Parts: sequence; structure tokens; C-alpha cells
Amino acid sequence: MAGVPEIFDRLAVRRHRDRAARMVERVAPVLREAAERLVGRMDDTTRRFALALDLGGRGIVAPLLAARGITAVSADLSTRMAARGGALAVAADEEWLPFRAASFDLVTANLSLHWANDLPGVLVQVRTALKPDGLFLASLPVLGTLDPLRTALAEAEAALSGGASPRVSPFPTLRDCAGLLQRAGFALPVVDLDRISLAYREPLAALHDLRAAGETNAIRVRERRTPPRALFPAALAALPVEERTITLELTMAMLTGWAPSPPQHGSGRAAAH
Amino acid sequence: MSGSKVPIDPRLLEILVCPLTKGPLEYDRTNNELISRKAGLAYPIRDGIPIMLPDEARKLED
Repeated sequence: MAGVPEIFDRLAVRRHRDRAARMVERVAPVLREAAERLVGRMDDTTRRFALALDLGGRGIVAPLLAARGITAVSADLSTRMAARGGALAVAADEEWLPFRAASFDLVTANLSLHWANDLPGVLVQVRTALKPDGLFLASLPVLGTLDPLRTALAEAEAALSGGASPRVSPFPTLRDCAGLLQRAGFALPVVDLDRISLAYREPLAALHDLRAAGETNAIRVRERRTPPRALFPAALAALPVEERTITLELTMAMLTGWAPSPPQHGSGRAAAH
Repeated sequence: MSGSKVPIDPRLLEILVCPLTKGPLEYDRTNNELISRKAGLAYPIRDGIPIMLPDEARKLED
């Protein structure tokens, strides 16, 4: 990927997902909620899907597809995580997809593409892997996600060390997502916003959940030294509490796009939003 | 070579290509590897899961 800035450390992403494969059940309800909303979008179409590629579904998306009679190939940077998807598992880097052009009727990516360095490149490869008139469904965390945590960590770190290093992923905006779909050559691109509120009694539980989802920091320029012992307690204590509950919001862009084909099947569908 | 000899699902063989060249792969049953001649790499298959990561692939000797 010459010329693409490497914001994320892909080896770290793989390690985080390997580790998460053993504890992802802890956050399955949140992932499943997002996946159900995502997969539900295909119910608005009349197109039938036989073979799907599920990118980073963490063993949550494949069963939802199977319930709709769709065979899923599960791909993940982590072999262990891929294996959770079922019999048709492949260890693969979404930035270097190992699939023949026009292989799939459907590609899904549930909260799994935000650690890619070259998201435009990923989307072009997804479009190529789709058969003509194939559907791409993705949920992506966008700006707004984990904002209270981002602010609390930056403020606590500034107070302790006089500077701040990035500890929460730089999420795209909704408008970025729409532009990405268009640039990648998808027909009938639709992007809309969806939210899942996560309520915590215990602030530390939020960090444990992120780890279980494989979502620990993989920013390349992240501070690799052990943070000052006081950092996380100070940041967690600064999170806004309402009625003894800390609310963190998962703000998602729901992306829908079709691989171009005349005549476009997607155009005959009920609006998917 | 690859530790385990669980065969790859034939449905995967139909759709897999080399991630670097997007070219065809040969299935080496003896070593349980997928070979990309163009890239000079052999991708291992572990527990029936093809590992299509160039970092994990074996370099072919000429």
C-alpha cells in the first residue's frame, strides 16, 4: 500500500483480535445488536443472496446470515477470530483481500473496518469481490463514539504529564463514509446514522469490554511505554456520571452500496433506511 | 510443514487467489499449502483454515 499513511499498527490489531477471540462473548450482546440492525437492512431488498463474505464478524454475524439461508465465508486478520465464524474460515487482511473477482453476492463488515489504514482501498477490493448487483453492508463507528472517554483520557494525561498521546481511534465522520462509498464505485450508496447506548455502573468495565471486543489502541504513534499508574483511574473518575451510571455511545454509520450492474437490482428495492 | 493435515474446504479453493498478485493458487496436498508461483509464496493451511497473510507465508526457493 505505497503512499498510504500507516496510522494503525496492523500487527497490534491482529494480536488484539487474537486475544479477544477468547473473551468476545463478554460483549456479544452489543455486537449482536449492531449486527442485527446491519443484516436487517437486506430484508428490505428482493435480491436473494447465496454466498457472503463476512469481514471481521467475530463469530456473531455468520450465524445471523446462516439463519437467512446464506453461506458465509468468515475472514479475519486473526485466525482464531476467523474460526469463530464457522467452517468456511480464512485468515486474511482486509487491505489485501485474497478472493477472486465477482465471488460473492453479499459482503458484510460489522464494526470491523475502522482499524484499516487504507479504507478506500479496502472498499474498492470489496466492490471487486462482489458479483454484479451484489450488496455491501457495513457498520462503522464514527466520530462521537467514545467521546467522553477520549476527552477524559486527554485531560487526565495533560494534567499528569503535560501532553496527550492518541488513545482512542480517530473515527471518520458520516460525510467521510458517504464519500468513501462513492469513490469506491458503489451504486446507490446510502449512509445513515444509528446509535447504541452503553451504560456502565463501573467505569473500568467499559475498558474491559473494549478489550474483549479486540478494540484496544492500535494507533501506530501510540505511547508504548506503560502509562503513568494514575492515568486510567484519573480518566475514569472524570467520566460524566448520571444516576450512578456512565453512558458511552456507540455512534455508527450504516453503509449500504451495490456493485454496479445494468439493470440495478438495488434500485427496485424499498429504501434501505 | 503446517502441523495439521485438515484438508481445505473445496468451496474455498474456488474463490481464493493470492492476496498480493490476485493470481491463481495451486493446492499442494502433500504440504497442505496454497502456492502462488507469481508471488513466490506458499500460504499455509492450519486446521483447515488458509492463512492468506504474506507475513506468514513461506518463501519458495527457485
